[in-house]
Amino acid sequence: MSDYLFYIFAALTVICGALVIINKNPINSAMFLVLSIASMAGLFVLLHAFFLAAVQVLVYAGAVMVLFLFVIMLLDLKEEQRRKINTFGAVTGVASVAAIGYVFYQSIRNTPLPNAVAHSEGDTVVLGKLLFTDYVLPFEILSILLLVAMVGVILLSKKDLK
Amino acid sequence: MVPLYYYLIFSALLFSVGLAGALTRRNAILVLIGIELMLNAANLNFIAFWRYSPDPEALTGMMFVIFSIAVAAAEAAVGLALIIAIYRHYRTVDLTKVDSLKG
Amino acid sequence: MSGISYSEILKLVAPEMLVSLAALAVLAIDLLVMREAPQRYRFWTGAAFAGLGCGLAIAWLLAMNPPPHSMSAGLSLLQGTYADDVLVRLVKVALLVMTLFTLAISMESNFTDHIGEYLALILLATVGMMFLVSSENLLMVFISLELTSLSLYILTAFNKRNVESAEAALKYFLFGGMSAAFTLFGLSLVYGLAGSIQFSEIYSKLHAAKIDTLLLAAIVMTVIGFGFKIAAVPFHLWAPDAYQGAPTPSAAFIASGSKVASFFIFAKLMMQAFAGAEGNGAWRHFTPGWLPVVATVAACSMLLGNLAAIVQGNVKRLLAYSAIAHAGYALLGLLSNSQQGMSSLIYYIVTYGLTVLGAFGVVAIVEERTGDASISSFAGLGRRQPLLGLCMMVFMLSLAGIPPLAGFFGKFYLFTAAIGAGKDMGMLWLVIFAIAMSAVSLYYYLQVLKQIYVVPAVEDSRPIVVPVSSRIILSLLALVVVVLGCAPELLLGRLITAIKLASHQ
Repeated sequence: MSDYLFYIFAALTVICGALVIINKNPINSAMFLVLSIASMAGLFVLLHAFFLAAVQVLVYAGAVMVLFLFVIMLLDLKEEQRRKINTFGAVTGVASVAAIGYVFYQSIRNTPLPNAVAHSEGDTVVLGKLLFTDYVLPFEILSILLLVAMVGVILLSKKDLK
Repeated sequence: MVPLYYYLIFSALLFSVGLAGALTRRNAILVLIGIELMLNAANLNFIAFWRYSPDPEALTGMMFVIFSIAVAAAEAAVGLALIIAIYRHYRTVDLTKVDSLKG
Repeated sequence: MSGISYSEILKLVAPEMLVSLAALAVLAIDLLVMREAPQRYRFWTGAAFAGLGCGLAIAWLLAMNPPPHSMSAGLSLLQGTYADDVLVRLVKVALLVMTLFTLAISMESNFTDHIGEYLALILLATVGMMFLVSSENLLMVFISLELTSLSLYILTAFNKRNVESAEAALKYFLFGGMSAAFTLFGLSLVYGLAGSIQFSEIYSKLHAAKIDTLLLAAIVMTVIGFGFKIAAVPFHLWAPDAYQGAPTPSAAFIASGSKVASFFIFAKLMMQAFAGAEGNGAWRHFTPGWLPVVATVAACSMLLGNLAAIVQGNVKRLLAYSAIAHAGYALLGLLSNSQQGMSSLIYYIVTYGLTVLGAFGVVAIVEERTGDASISSFAGLGRRQPLLGLCMMVFMLSLAGIPPLAGFFGKFYLFTAAIGAGKDMGMLWLVIFAIAMSAVSLYYYLQVLKQIYVVPAVEDSRPIVVPVSSRIILSLLALVVVVLGCAPELLLGRLITAIKLASHQ
């Protein structure tokens, strides 16, 4: 059963991801990103990372994507005009992406990987405890990072009065 | 149970899709969205590796993802603020038209 | 995990705490008390607090003995997270000194009204760099790298009146975001293959295993991420635009502090965690690993950086391409993959940071007085402001690597380390290439000097007035460059002892 779910969610994520980058209308792109991220949360559930699945939906699909949509609407972005394809960029881009994909495919196929499936669940209580013990330093650095982001965003998006 | 390398190939695919988006789109917001896809692919890697790791009690992969989601959110916020600042000057977010700096 | 002593942790990270507290203080004071005060006054007050914070942190780093690696509660908690030894402390002191100089060269420019935020962001970026230098696991590396980068993006965009500043920041940000994604993906693969995120455990897991392609992919992606931070070809595309568009003090900070921190942790990650996955970069003996990857990046950086710098008409852009070239030279230290290589790398990059801070300091003043940073606005500087011209000459000649300046000795030591590395002088091809390229670089540095001393000023040849404080700071920087060149043991001796000590622990 969970095998089929994997295929379904994986297909949904990639198809929506592809639609994100093909779509001309920025709003549609953003909506497909929401779908892609939500089906990714499904994959997290299959991997028994329940807390992270919830975070993924709340933070990504919720907060971050609302921010994206808000900015897209604020700037009132229209559909991109018929794109003049930058041939050089497109060719090198597609070539490098294909090369990267191929390298990954080959190397993942050829590398012996661990296959023991854990019986541990990502327990929220344990995560919380870890966050304030083993990971307290990164946690504090992250709080500084959020402060920086906050100061920066206010500063950059505010209109100067004079 | 699906073997680990299915997840890895899938996340590599998603990463490539995001990269393609980031490289080919001209709209700055969509480049940012492509980057978000790439980060998500990396997150999936961490969780898959955690799930299949011999020592899952350590929860390392999970913790890494929590941090990376927070970082990605902060990065998106700063990026969007920069895009608004650009829009104020140029009235567009088309990267090909934002080109006053040249060598 | 009961009985964690948070006060122990606080004591351990005291320098970082001091700097972040200074940042918060500057922010609060400026926003609450100084709103209405005249700009100059606001800047001085803020800078005084910021300087106090950095000064206290330096004093702490120098005065306190590094903790012995005993297992007190706080230490064992941060074991494998936060490194604190003599070497790390030295690098942190260098970073803080660069922050102080950045604050000092910001004094003359008035590109923003948001002084509190500007100073606070510089300090918080410094905190990020300090944590980066102390990182001992991948999570710390990632988080502190992002803290540094985010602060720098914002500092680049700080001149809100200027279109170029916003554009530079957007380009910097988009390239940076992409490379952050590469780094994260690479780190995830490393985590998966090694089963741990700590440098020491990654090493013990990976050094025995044979290098498979997935590990190689992980390493390449990590190199991409760091290659972006240190502006090495082909991940350098942001650098010229960011340097040109950013407010000059921000550009100076990107070129100095952030470079030092990134290079240090890059070298540490490669030499410690990926030791055993080096491969071989010797001519005709390429075997896969990180050495050949880094060697290619270094060669490309030297070639492209130096050639592109020749045709630049803007001094900030010229310095950007020269920064790319210097990243190429500095990578030679990493390629030596030895203790000598590490000490030469740190010596080189620290002296480079100080030199480039000085150069940007001169550019900031010239830009402020003449309106732009094109190479022709330096014409006649030697007569209009002799001291400034002299300082610029010292900085440019040091960048070009002329004895007896610091840049010469740095390069000399770097090349010696690289030649001695490996069997049968395997890196000789790259060293020869580097020497040839530094000869090329002499041309464009001399172009700047020609403008300063030979070409007469075009229309306006009145003397440029420079406040005493700026003169003192720039002369101080020039003096440091000369002294470190004549007496390199001052820094190098400490570095070598510190590296020996660190490797014994």
